Amino acid sequence: MAEMREPAQRQSQTGAWEERDLIRRLCHALDIAKLTVEHLAPGGYVDLHDREKNIRAEKVLSETAVLLLAASQVAQSEVQDRVKSLIVCLAPHARSKRALIGMCVEPSVAWEYALGHLCLNRLGCPDSDFDTLLLHALHAQAHAGRERVPHRMLEKEWAALGLRDLAEDDRRIQMSRLSVLNCPMDLLSCRREDMYAFTHALMYVTDFGIRPVPLPRPREVVLAEAEALLAYCLDEQDYDLAGEILLSWPLTGKSWSPAAAFAFRVLAHVEDKAGFLPTPGTRISEIEVRSGVERTQYRLATAYHTAYVMGLLCAASLRPGHAPPASFACKDARPGGTAHILRVLDADGKHPHWREEFNQLTSHEADALAGLLVQVSLRRKTMQRDYSGLLQALEVACDLDLSDMPSAVQAAELLDRLAAYSEIEQKMAATAPADCLEYA
Amino acid sequence: MGNIDQHRKIVRQLLDTKAVDFAAIGKAVTELGPSLAVAEEPWDFFCGTNRIFIHIYRIYNPGTPVEDLGALAANAGELRQ
Repeated sequence: MAEMREPAQRQSQTGAWEERDLIRRLCHALDIAKLTVEHLAPGGYVDLHDREKNIRAEKVLSETAVLLLAASQVAQSEVQDRVKSLIVCLAPHARSKRALIGMCVEPSVAWEYALGHLCLNRLGCPDSDFDTLLLHALHAQAHAGRERVPHRMLEKEWAALGLRDLAEDDRRIQMSRLSVLNCPMDLLSCRREDMYAFTHALMYVTDFGIRPVPLPRPREVVLAEAEALLAYCLDEQDYDLAGEILLSWPLTGKSWSPAAAFAFRVLAHVEDKAGFLPTPGTRISEIEVRSGVERTQYRLATAYHTAYVMGLLCAASLRPGHAPPASFACKDARPGGTAHILRVLDADGKHPHWREEFNQLTSHEADALAGLLVQVSLRRKTMQRDYSGLLQALEVACDLDLSDMPSAVQAAELLDRLAAYSEIEQKMAATAPADCLEYA
Repeated sequence: MGNIDQHRKIVRQLLDTKAVDFAAIGKAVTELGPSLAVAEEPWDFFCGTNRIFIHIYRIYNPGTPVEDLGALAANAGELRQ
């Protein structure tokens, strides 16, 4: 099992998270990637008991290639050695007959079949035959015959960076303006798919720091929304998405907010405790009923993605000056300001991992997280349809001078809309025939 | 097995459990049905012309939490560092 470390041991002399620790975590992700390629790249994953867990080979190949691209920016030899070894393992699968035939038969998804190959091109491992067939497919009449949502259009433009003649930063900028990065997220009721649209768009705009184009909105505006999403994912123990959202900080700049630094600490702690960063998809009962290769494949299929996300996060954090701070504070925080909101949250009877980590904080660190706690509360109360609780959370936000947080603004708007609805509903009730009221 | 056969099998199995009290549902519809049928908005589950009165949903990942971290560590196998 991974060695448990105290926060103090993670701090370098600069006050940033210790580089060795980030490298260790990235290497762990790359080691899992090697096993994943061995076991899942040839044919994906087919779960005989639960089809929901099935994974297409293309998904595994593309995600491994993306991890390699991000990790390739880290100069340390243990990372570089692993990246080079994995490139050799991945290439035959990414450029398999299946991928080549896929591009011929389904030219409208040629980009998807070619994503692994295109990342390999960028990693200095070209294949001109594959390029030729890909270009052939991209000239097919049906090449654009599948509708793509904006972040998928952005993905296509990003993938084109793997083909020198097709890469155009202007188009990537245009697509980013169509994406959710260019408009406020629905922070209180957005779904996982919406959050993925956000995180993926950000990856494609920043290109993991290799060839970024400007964000469509200012960094602080995008990060304020990211923090609200992060609060929700931490509270739901959705570490897959939490890790992707956390990428927003190191991919867009050097500073981390106290909430982002705290979230990184939670993820690191969970990873250390479980030996890998888990998702709800990995069920112990399912591991126990399997044995041998089937057990290994189940473990990898349910855990590889989150392991990769942790790898991406560490790779981004290893860029000079981009590491999260090992400790944090906020000079404007009100001392003891979190006590009340914490009592409200604890009254819900939930015990997420972040709560354990919160208990380990110094009082200065805890004070700096008032905004995060308020955002957790706003989202929880909205999901519970507890609108009086939502109002109370909003009042706390006002007391703490946090009412300008985007989720607080959206909560106020929600309550305003509900008040307007209530007036209409009262009018409807007053004019409804008596026999309808009986069953209302 | 085709989809239709599979659905029939599931329905048969569910009916055999006697988990659904059709008599009680019938009684409720008998009581509520007449007035709701003439109401402006009877809604389809009351109106009596729809064949579907009970929906059974299969909920994927119904808020399943992450397993205990210590237990996961004990079962991590090759995922462990």
